[in-house]
Amino acid sequence: MTMSVTTPKQREDAPEGRVEDRRLLTGKGRYVDDLKLEGQAYMGMVRSPYAHAKINSIDFSKARESPDFIASLTGEDLLKEGVQPLSQNPWPFQKRAKRYHLAVGKARFAGEPVAAILVRDKNSVEDLIDLVEVDYDSLPVVTTIEESKQNKAIIYEDWGNNASLTSEVKKGDAEKAIASAAFVIHAREGIARQGAAPIEPHAVLVEYDSKQDSYDVWATVQSVHGTRDKLASELKKPKEKFHVRVMDMGGGFGSKGAQSYPEAPLACIFARRTGLPVKWTATRSEEFLEAASGRDEYCDITLACDKNGRIVAVKASVECDLGVTGSQAHMPTMTIETMPGPYRIPNQDITVAAYVTNKMPIGPVRGAGGPEGCYFIERAVDLLARRAGLDPLEFRRRNVSRREGPAEGEADFRLLLDTLVKSSHYEELSRWRSDLHSKFAQQGPSHSSLIGGLGVSVTGSDESEDEEEGEDWSGASSGGGGADGGSKPWQPGGGSSGGAGERWAGQTPGGSGAAWQSSGDSPERRTWPGASEETLGFMSETARVTLDKEGKVTVYTGSSPHGQGEETTFAQLASEELGVPLKDVTVVWGDTTLIPRGIGTFGSRSAATGGSAVIDASRKLKAQLVVRASEALGVDAKSLDMRGGGFVRASQPDAVLATLNDVLVKQRADEVSASSVFTLSGLSYSSGVHLCALTLDVELGKVKIVKYFVVEDCGRMINKAIVEGQLHGGVLHAVGGALFERLAYDEEGNLLSSTFMDYNIPTALDSPEVQVFHETTPSTVTLDGAKGVGESGTNGAYAAVINALNDALSQLGTGAEVNMVPATPDAVFRALNAKRAKTPAARDSS
Amino acid sequence: MKVNGKQVGGTVEPRTLLVNFIRDDLGLTGTHVGCDTGHCGACTVMVDGRTVKSCMVLAVQARGAEILTVEGLAQGDKLHPIQEAFWKNHGLQCGFCTPGLLMSGLYLLQRNPDPTDEEIRRGIEGNLCRCTGYVNVVKSVRAASKSMRKGGEGGARA
Amino acid sequence: MIPKSFDYYAPASLDEAIRLLGENEEAKVLAGGQSLLPMMKLRLAAPTALVDIAKLPGLSYVRDEGDQLAIGALTTHDSIEHDRTIKDRFTAINDAVVRIGDQQVRNIGTVGGSACHADPAADLPTVLLVLDAQFVIQGREGQRVVPARDFFVDVFATAVGHDEILTEVRLAYPPPRSASAYVKHSLREADFAIAMVGAAVTVGDGNVCRGVRIGLGSAGPTPLRATSAERYLDGKALDDDAIATAAEMAVEGADPPSDVHGSREYRMEMIKVLTRRSLKLAVGRVK
Repeated sequence: MTMSVTTPKQREDAPEGRVEDRRLLTGKGRYVDDLKLEGQAYMGMVRSPYAHAKINSIDFSKARESPDFIASLTGEDLLKEGVQPLSQNPWPFQKRAKRYHLAVGKARFAGEPVAAILVRDKNSVEDLIDLVEVDYDSLPVVTTIEESKQNKAIIYEDWGNNASLTSEVKKGDAEKAIASAAFVIHAREGIARQGAAPIEPHAVLVEYDSKQDSYDVWATVQSVHGTRDKLASELKKPKEKFHVRVMDMGGGFGSKGAQSYPEAPLACIFARRTGLPVKWTATRSEEFLEAASGRDEYCDITLACDKNGRIVAVKASVECDLGVTGSQAHMPTMTIETMPGPYRIPNQDITVAAYVTNKMPIGPVRGAGGPEGCYFIERAVDLLARRAGLDPLEFRRRNVSRREGPAEGEADFRLLLDTLVKSSHYEELSRWRSDLHSKFAQQGPSHSSLIGGLGVSVTGSDESEDEEEGEDWSGASSGGGGADGGSKPWQPGGGSSGGAGERWAGQTPGGSGAAWQSSGDSPERRTWPGASEETLGFMSETARVTLDKEGKVTVYTGSSPHGQGEETTFAQLASEELGVPLKDVTVVWGDTTLIPRGIGTFGSRSAATGGSAVIDASRKLKAQLVVRASEALGVDAKSLDMRGGGFVRASQPDAVLATLNDVLVKQRADEVSASSVFTLSGLSYSSGVHLCALTLDVELGKVKIVKYFVVEDCGRMINKAIVEGQLHGGVLHAVGGALFERLAYDEEGNLLSSTFMDYNIPTALDSPEVQVFHETTPSTVTLDGAKGVGESGTNGAYAAVINALNDALSQLGTGAEVNMVPATPDAVFRALNAKRAKTPAARDSS
Repeated sequence: MKVNGKQVGGTVEPRTLLVNFIRDDLGLTGTHVGCDTGHCGACTVMVDGRTVKSCMVLAVQARGAEILTVEGLAQGDKLHPIQEAFWKNHGLQCGFCTPGLLMSGLYLLQRNPDPTDEEIRRGIEGNLCRCTGYVNVVKSVRAASKSMRKGGEGGARA
Repeated sequence: MIPKSFDYYAPASLDEAIRLLGENEEAKVLAGGQSLLPMMKLRLAAPTALVDIAKLPGLSYVRDEGDQLAIGALTTHDSIEHDRTIKDRFTAINDAVVRIGDQQVRNIGTVGGSACHADPAADLPTVLLVLDAQFVIQGREGQRVVPARDFFVDVFATAVGHDEILTEVRLAYPPPRSASAYVKHSLREADFAIAMVGAAVTVGDGNVCRGVRIGLGSAGPTPLRATSAERYLDGKALDDDAIATAAEMAVEGADPPSDVHGSREYRMEMIKVLTRRSLKLAVGRVK
């Protein structure tokens, strides 16, 4: 099936402001914690203070003495009731372990819920939590990959060890190519555990209807459908019994996505048992303790090029700390698939091994492996460029896309780099950098302590098919048992066309979601537990578009915007397709009753999948309407178009022949609608190039970013301001990660960073002015050529910042290097002092 | 106390936070709770004309005060210039930090009608945003400073 | 998120406040609450009663008293930030106060609250030590004055007794050709310091040091004076070399912590850098 990409009309005329803003600006947003039901009770979670401990007993008697105490639940209670363990979505080759809503027998991370209570008064919740007495025997704790590998404690006994999965991307013969390469570098890189940290904490509100045995659930989730399916499967009830809704949500960044958290199902159970509406809102400490966090990946990389600076091989081994086994582990695989970047490296040997530890489970935090992969390769590219004596920009120019021009749908990376140089006034920046260096060199650090650094990164991939060099992508569960895992290596399904065919691995655009691997002829459909054949996969989204007699259009989407602006952009799409004024289009989402099927908003997919579904449904609706108009007006359907809220002859677009209302009334139709379940035939992500200019105070080790540029290519822009906003926010998310953020644990597995005082996300004073420039290469798989853009800022920024930092350090001539992130002042200081004696020539050891 | 010009009252425990009084007792849910330690600023309101984090103030401390929340900015259907500026300049995405930011932005402009970008950033330092990267927030406050100076608009009254 | 229960009093006079404190062993004074409330919300502090003095009249002022400046204990950080005299004559205070928290915190946080909370990582205590502030404490029996070196006793502990209230902070105007500076190094602008140093100098001809005080924060349970460095500088020309030497000596007696925000070793080095910077800044400000 060929997709025709039509040039959208008037794409430059974006609305003055977003549709959703009015209520958000006037305090009329409806976030879950804003909702209040008469007589609602408050749930409190009793959490393990130990990272690893046997649970001997749980005693509610002191708590029960309080008049505010209503009810309690333990893991044993849930087992008795037949509640299924938390839904997970592991790879076939990933070792399995059950995780329970409330720990059974053992707590495996500090903050893991071990009991839940229901309390009358909101102020008393923490008082009563404190009165619940739990007896623990603490066990040895594993908080690092090293400890995990050494089996300091075995977290899931029947695994025999702590290894969860391995995977690899292989192509050609990396070993051989490295041995004969002109220039080779090694590096050890890493990104510490970091959080999504949306400003709105998780929350849920449940009301139970005893007559219907049904649940009305409001929850802070990026997918109401996924949540509904999980509730149904965990509580063993039909899906129709759960009406899951969300309206406004204060950010998610992957932590409110497809993970299974215990609180919504527990609230359902309490609601049913007591007949009371049940509310739970996480405190910020709970948010840090329990919400899925990301990164925590480390990479030993060898990168090699020929004498012309063409990369010939990459060999890397990546290790990931998953925390306890969680809902998803596609970040490790996403990382290694991202790593070759757009460089079409002929010899690749990239492996990843993931381990469990006594920390909260990992999740798809903005970029979900994409930022990690991009960081690992882009940092190495910089090192190799310098080793080869080439400017890092020039080195990249030589390596992006070896063919004559980009493949269809692929960004023109050379153009992006050229635009970057122009738009950033790169020459001026280089002069600024030299000037600072001169001052520093002449006056010494105590008089002029700032040096400048410039760093670039490229994010994106080679979207072209590569038929001669077939990659072999496979994964295996690490040896040893595992209840459901076994040790069978998993191969991509047979029947693949042309050997390389649908291989996303190594060809995956920088961004998340590619872990939803294709196999065989059709994209693999990732489903939630208990899902039927009908359940949609990652590449799909639903839309239904209706038109009523008054000419008002309603778009029902399976997407779930929480800041990305789909309430506006999807209205724009429908408005354009149907020629209806924007003010007459309403977008509805986040309701499993109004919208029975959908996927949700995560992984940069909404503009791509959701947008195409809206366009598809709108076009189907238009086709119906045009037929009706043709009948009503006695005009040939083929000559009609829709404009200005009515029908026009295509040849005379300004003369409205009849309004929508006219036609519907004539046709005696109250409402007309059309639906779409749209599946992309391939992934569709943005590409971009980043440039960071920063100063380093060499005495303090402190970095300040002074300028930041992105040249991005997200295909067709539905709304420029919204695209730029996504880049601004995405970049800053990674800036925080590059310089400030770490979820730090002590040796006992206590989370030290559980407040915004200790987990430092950037404030307005720490953030640079991010300037965004645009190139456009329409996607070949979406209906309007738009590509997902939510994560691309984050994908590229780690590398740009750290490359810039190292560029600054390189001017000191001491061989000091920082490859571990976050590059806090202390870390930079250590690097500055550690390498004082080393000469530049010996720089290739990590 | 007076909230958005209206006299209100209630009986609360001493430990009831002002933000919870505003949200739960008065039903004004535009002011949000984002953290436990007074760092995120999503709860920022004005008490007697000064911005404070209402999660770091006990309701009883605000007895007799005049409070302005985000709900008090617009005049009927007419948005306050700062709200208008945020709307026109895409100064919000998920909207959760926005009410607090509007308060901090307004307070800044009331005292410093023509701030530099650095002063704007310093003025909103106490409001965390994870969505926007602050770029358009600064742009919005800058735009608001222009429109407020033109219109002689001093800002909403409590 | 929600503190443990407590009784709340809003006395109408200082005497009544003192009496209430005397009657409640576990009562605490509440002024701006910007240091106390976060601790109570995390349940790291659980006083059974709060005595709210924020609305007591006559405790918020900045007064020129001829040879000294008197600052009422309830004066907010924001008021201090905008006071001309403080900026001109006690510039280190201005340097410090703009770095306290954020605008919202400065709007209701008070100088008295900050001093009495005595968090070694807070900005004002160090500066008040450097400027040799005098603390006026009101108790049952009347008033007493405690100099800064005796005021900060331990982490979160000062010379203020349980049923006493700090009412005023006094700063003697320094002699001519004096200036002060405070520099802070933190991860983000708004964070608690990784290291902080305040310096106050008085110079004679040829920039010869006629008096110097150097104060370190985040370097022990209380702010401390770098007395070895001070003794070294006394009588010497405050040139780059002397300042550099003093900076090396400044860490004597310093005991900074190791935590997520910085290792001890790193902090010691930062103390040296900041000592140099604050001294240079102070000397540069001398008119």
